[in-house]
Amino acid sequence: MASSKKVIMREEWEKRLNHIRIRKEEMNKLVMNFLVTEGYAEAVAKFRMETGTEPDMDVAMIMDRMAVKEAVQCGNVEDAIEKVNDLNPEILDTNPELFFHLQQQRLIELIRNEKIEEALEFAQEELAPRGEENQSFLEELERTVSLLVFKDVSNCPVRELLDISQRLKTANEVNAAILTSQSHEKDPKLHSLLKMLIWAQNQLDEKATYPRIKDFLKATLENPAV
Amino acid sequence: MPSATINKPRPSELLSRLTSAEPEVKVRALRQVKNQIIGNRTKKLSFLKLGAVPAVAGILADSIDDVTDNNNCNNDSNNTINILVQSAAALGSFACGFDAGVQAVLDAGAFPNLLRLLANPNEKVVDAVARALRMIYQSKLAPKYDFLQQKNMEFLISLLNSEKENVSGLGASIITRSCETNLEQKALFDAGILRKLNSLLEGGSLSQRDASLESLATIFRNNPEVISKFAGPEIGRPLSSIIDLAKDRYPRTRLLACMCLIVIRNASPHFLQDIGIKTKLIHILLELLDDPGQVGDEAPFAFSSLIAQKEDLQKLALEANAIDKLHHHIKKGSLHPRRYEGILLALADMCSKLESCRSKFLLLQVLNLLADALTDYNAGVRAAACICLKSVTRSIKNLSAGYFMNETIVIPLVQLFLDPSTSVQVAALGATSNIVVDFTTRKSIFVQCGGMKQLVQLAKSMESSVRSNALWALKNFVFQADNRLKEGVFSELTASLLSSLIRDPEPSVQEQALALVRNLVDGCINLIEFVFAEDGLILGAIGRQLQCASKAEIGIQGMYALCNVASGNEFHKEAVMQLLFTQMGDKNQSFVIKFLQSNDSRLCTATVWTIVNLTCPSTPGAPGRLEKLRNAGIVSQIKNMVNDPCVDVKLRVRTVLGQSMAFGDN
Repeated sequence: MASSKKVIMREEWEKRLNHIRIRKEEMNKLVMNFLVTEGYAEAVAKFRMETGTEPDMDVAMIMDRMAVKEAVQCGNVEDAIEKVNDLNPEILDTNPELFFHLQQQRLIELIRNEKIEEALEFAQEELAPRGEENQSFLEELERTVSLLVFKDVSNCPVRELLDISQRLKTANEVNAAILTSQSHEKDPKLHSLLKMLIWAQNQLDEKATYPRIKDFLKATLENPAV
Repeated sequence: MPSATINKPRPSELLSRLTSAEPEVKVRALRQVKNQIIGNRTKKLSFLKLGAVPAVAGILADSIDDVTDNNNCNNDSNNTINILVQSAAALGSFACGFDAGVQAVLDAGAFPNLLRLLANPNEKVVDAVARALRMIYQSKLAPKYDFLQQKNMEFLISLLNSEKENVSGLGASIITRSCETNLEQKALFDAGILRKLNSLLEGGSLSQRDASLESLATIFRNNPEVISKFAGPEIGRPLSSIIDLAKDRYPRTRLLACMCLIVIRNASPHFLQDIGIKTKLIHILLELLDDPGQVGDEAPFAFSSLIAQKEDLQKLALEANAIDKLHHHIKKGSLHPRRYEGILLALADMCSKLESCRSKFLLLQVLNLLADALTDYNAGVRAAACICLKSVTRSIKNLSAGYFMNETIVIPLVQLFLDPSTSVQVAALGATSNIVVDFTTRKSIFVQCGGMKQLVQLAKSMESSVRSNALWALKNFVFQADNRLKEGVFSELTASLLSSLIRDPEPSVQEQALALVRNLVDGCINLIEFVFAEDGLILGAIGRQLQCASKAEIGIQGMYALCNVASGNEFHKEAVMQLLFTQMGDKNQSFVIKFLQSNDSRLCTATVWTIVNLTCPSTPGAPGRLEKLRNAGIVSQIKNMVNDPCVDVKLRVRTVLGQSMAFGDN
């Protein structure tokens, strides 16, 4: 029961925290890893200059990857595909789901620009074969093609496909695939650390009352309720 | 009409642009071809049919010799490099996961040119070429690499030593694809390749680690000597690095590491045998089933390779709730066929030996799902369902209770006898063989579904494996069946078919046919008439086959068939005697003596049993037969066996001698 939980007061907690040493270089590496993974090429270059921390990837590679991501985010999917293939032709050749999503995005962009006849032709020539090659895409394919049926696409049941968030989703998928192909993790380590923190606090909550971090942005210790 | 903004030339248009004299046009066209086919199997096929591969391969070949001065940054040189990169990339994409593409690339003669280009000074060219070669080596169609030639080994080492991932990856792919024999494995070990792979394992990138794991597994397969040299003390703790990778964060790495460990376990009795590692492997593989992608598809196959034929592992897996977990995955439905097949085969392996596993399986009512799988559109799934059924129907407890002889199972099973795939037919026959041993009186259900007639049809198949398995099923079907059933089978089969099957060119078919006769005539004296039908066709066939039996099993079944005939009346016994003494050519020794002198105690037992029946004291002709046997030296041969180490032989021998003494033998 709650009464059997150990209570640790703030002073004691802070004393224990102070015993732990985190080196500046480690934190720099974390920041650099975040900048690289998220693709902030200029920030990477500047941070490297200012701190001497080596990025775990060429700046040029980061810029290549960002060019792809931005092309998708702007709706230039064909351009993005060509760029990915120049980077590494294996990515789309071995990732049927990603390739399908990119083709799907192309169709969405055609519909958004009201190029309906082209969209029909594209759906038939490029999307339908994906469904034939892989049955698990059929449902998503049908949803996308159904956009062509509605006169007012902004109010149809599948309108979220036209959202900018759909572009972002596809862009993130490509970004992750490129990172994986470069043997780089697709999530920044900072992300995993925060998840670990949340998990550890949840675990500890069952056993003790202690100063928690509730707001990660502030990272302040909340006094334990006694 | 399509709008002008989609400027997509037709494939045929693109191909004609490839022949352009202008390098820029060529590069652009190559790039467009490449971009159209990447990820698009349908396009690969249509370009293939238009002859794109020889066209691109031709461009590659022409451009190799154009690379003269690599320091020159002029336009020509750039164009050449671009042409090489794009054409290599296009060829690589044609070969990626697409066997028809691989074949086309090889047929177009691109392979030696790609190899040459690995030495090109331009990084991008080498990268593209190495990737293309890697795609080729992922296919079974890749040319065989001769490791035993010194310069080939040196080339391989240079590939593995390269800093470029695609090039070292190519080296690993070559090993994984081409290394087959123990000799090649040893050659690779002697050349220090394992050390190199081990360093890639510990210090390489993700793809290098994965490639390394696959290559190591290939070199270790069925080679305990290489394994012990690798895992020995001199090279540090290499096995532990593989064990660590089994807990890696990436599922594919975990799977490949497990597969490597399993190869080591299966090849060598000294390594990885403790219960800790066994349990770990089981848990990791069961957890990998949750992966939604290719890793999850392959995990059940790895699981099978771990537990197949190994009771201790099956038991551990049972305790780890393997059957529940596998069942859970099948229940989810809409599985990729490869995954479905793998899970069914894993269940088959789990239930292959242990009754506890079969009970669990039946308790969870997985049998119903199995009935569905029998009608799946994918042949591999259907075959796997039959194999699983065969394992589960080994449960004597449930066979005796008549659990399996019901229409839900039997009807789809019998339909598979007509399956277009031979392997499905054979697997269905295997399952049927168990089910028809039903000890209750429900065998007639099988006749009612037309199963018996189908089996007889299959006994006439062109495929010998289908014939022998159909006969096996019939043999089990008539085992201790009632007379009516046996007569039904016999009239469907006919004496002439059965006798020709006894004389079939395939030994396995002969054996099953003889065993079928044995079971047919067993039990009731009236049934013995079968062998005399149509002028003793069957009996004659048995006799001729025993003269030239190519393996012990044929002799055993044939002798037991004769033994059962000899258990009949005087006429039957005399007929058997005549058979035993038929000489063939210049052999003056009856096959009886040969069988009695055999090392196979089962054959001896069967033969002595026949003699027991022939010399049974209560029959009037016994003394005469005994005399004949004595004159042929058979009785003295039997006397020599009075202290045979095999108990069965000894007991029957003593019975014969006891019976012979009843006639005043000394």
